[in-house]
Amino acid sequence: MPVPLRAAAEPHALDINQLTVSYGRRQVLNHLNLQIEPGSIYGLLGPNGAGKTTLIRTICGRIVPQSGTVSIEGRSNRKKSTLRRIGLVPQEIGLYSHLTVQENLEAFGRLSGLSGSETRDAVAWAADVTRLSQRHNERLDILSGGWKRRVNIAAAILHHPALLILDEPTVGVDVDARNELHEVIRDLTHAGMAVLIATHDLDQAETICSSVGFLLGGTIVTAGAPQALIDQEFGGRTVVIIELRKPLNAQQRSALQKAGFIASNGDMTWSILGETNDSTSSALSVRLDRLGIATREIRHRKPGLDTLFLHLTRKPGEGVS
Amino acid sequence: MILAMLKVMALSLIRDRGALAMAFLLPPTIFVIFAAIFSGTSGDELRLKLAYGSAVASDVATRFETAIRAEPSLRVLPETSNSVEAVRERVQQGEADVGLVLRDDLAGTGDSPVLVLVDPGKLMGGAIVAGQVQRILAGTLADVGVKRMAPSIEALVGGFTPQQNAQLDAALTQMAEDPASTDESSGVVAQETLQGRSGSGATVTYYAGAVAILFLLFSAMQGAATLIEERNSGIVDRLAVGPSGTDVVVIGKFLFLTLQGTLQVALIFVVAALAYKVDVLGRLPVWLLITVLSSAAAAGLGLAVASACTTKQQAQTVSTFVVLVFSAIGGSMVPRFMMPPWLQDIGWYTPNAWAIEAYHGVLWRDETLTDLTASFLPLAGLALVGVLVAVLVSRWRLRL
Repeated sequence: MPVPLRAAAEPHALDINQLTVSYGRRQVLNHLNLQIEPGSIYGLLGPNGAGKTTLIRTICGRIVPQSGTVSIEGRSNRKKSTLRRIGLVPQEIGLYSHLTVQENLEAFGRLSGLSGSETRDAVAWAADVTRLSQRHNERLDILSGGWKRRVNIAAAILHHPALLILDEPTVGVDVDARNELHEVIRDLTHAGMAVLIATHDLDQAETICSSVGFLLGGTIVTAGAPQALIDQEFGGRTVVIIELRKPLNAQQRSALQKAGFIASNGDMTWSILGETNDSTSSALSVRLDRLGIATREIRHRKPGLDTLFLHLTRKPGEGVS
Repeated sequence: MILAMLKVMALSLIRDRGALAMAFLLPPTIFVIFAAIFSGTSGDELRLKLAYGSAVASDVATRFETAIRAEPSLRVLPETSNSVEAVRERVQQGEADVGLVLRDDLAGTGDSPVLVLVDPGKLMGGAIVAGQVQRILAGTLADVGVKRMAPSIEALVGGFTPQQNAQLDAALTQMAEDPASTDESSGVVAQETLQGRSGSGATVTYYAGAVAILFLLFSAMQGAATLIEERNSGIVDRLAVGPSGTDVVVIGKFLFLTLQGTLQVALIFVVAALAYKVDVLGRLPVWLLITVLSSAAAAGLGLAVASACTTKQQAQTVSTFVVLVFSAIGGSMVPRFMMPPWLQDIGWYTPNAWAIEAYHGVLWRDETLTDLTASFLPLAGLALVGVLVAVLVSRWRLRL
């Protein structure tokens, strides 16, 4: 996805400089830098405990950093008025289940400081952009997960924020609903809104994000457009994936680890990056046979963000439970 | 923004039938039950079930049994047992609350011809029956009473003359033939049941206030627990970046719970007014002030508890503990005058005691606004401190 062009004088929608946050003696964010442009979608990726939630809370002004700055549209987030330029979509359905879609949106419109008439206009706009208009009189507790997620987003955009933060926005929804949510998120950026998505869904990040950043050890270790990062890291290499027929013994596991394979799926799937073709696959198959490793399948695919994620977060041979 | 929060709370309550019934149907129902029970135990509706036995066959024994069976405060079982053991068995088996046995001649000089057998769980019943026996001996069977006392008096005065003995016998005969001639008004003790200055029944007024504050606390704790739901569901996270922050959530809930509590208490007192003639309308402004203050105190306490708890389960445990302990020592379950003095003193640290005192003061003692100030201050103080704690703790939690 192309990154929208930005006028020279236009401030970043989000600009984080040298941000450091600690809980007691434990440093969670370490001199972190991050910029998001208006109209772009930024995917914040990282394993559990990497500090994604802390970063979001710090952007939202709930945590005061030890050092560094957070600016929204060029203004410090220490000012209350700056925080109003943020819309937050929590991971949970942060809505009132006994109220209808319309009632929920009206309530959050008023709670976000809009007047009665502003709320009416904002509710109509948000329902339209999230494609909720046909369900606006239905109670939230009877809606499916995908529809609830849309309302969850609609309630966060009523005040036309400059920065929309979505925390795992598609958890628990099916593929169709997820694709529709992606459409909704893309439409929001057309209005100039900057979007920050914290997600574990790497496929989602690759699909809709104009840029992604991997948060590891309290800092963004690598960032950029998804495909550019993949190309930069892996070049023309492909991923070779071995699906095993039965578990490995210690000797077999050791052999694969020494060869640079990475385990996943409870040690039943192993992968390695390489410049492979059909002949190298045949050679690999023969070698595995010699080691007595029974394979169900050997396949190749292009590396994606998931490969990059594993590459960044796992050492060769490290298993995943 | 606060109005938006009030609307959210109101719609959520209206659409939750269980919560609606808990808030507005259960309190008047429980009040009616309490009023029926306690207006009976402390008023003239108490009728003890009595097992009667007699080991004596005489004219006096027959008169005594007739008088006992005619006593309106007693429900005497139809069968007359002929031994102490038989009556004891009936009381122990729960057939009767109290047993009464005439085991010797009433007119004789033997010790305690009447034996009262009491279930240890109903000691008050024994005292009531013993009192009724004394009353019968001083009234319907006054001749028997005098006859029992005559030998003692004769000994004190150095013996009656034959003429005095004849006069005494004649008088006793007349008293036996015409019990109505006995002047009961000459008794040492007379009892007058006071009416409230406002005309309301004391017990009903007491329990209206007692049940009201009990349910105010329960409802406020339950309603305030939505604060935890909102925190866990991300609603508070969402609002934290807006202009409202958590203050609006807490204050909106405080106002809603105060309003809900006022309606809840109004329903209890409507029933009290209609069924038990409690004069609420005559003291409406003061009653309303007490109700609003009590509701606000309960709301403040509920929000403080909810803001301090991290999970809804934890809040339920803590609030159940707080409500039950406050209600027990504050007089919502048992009147405080029945408690030991040290427990009565502790009771003043609960909103229950102050709310009950205020309702009783206005509706029974007909006290004025000035008289009730002492009750208002603790309630208003609890409301303010509670909501302030909830606001500050909720702000602090945002930083965690």
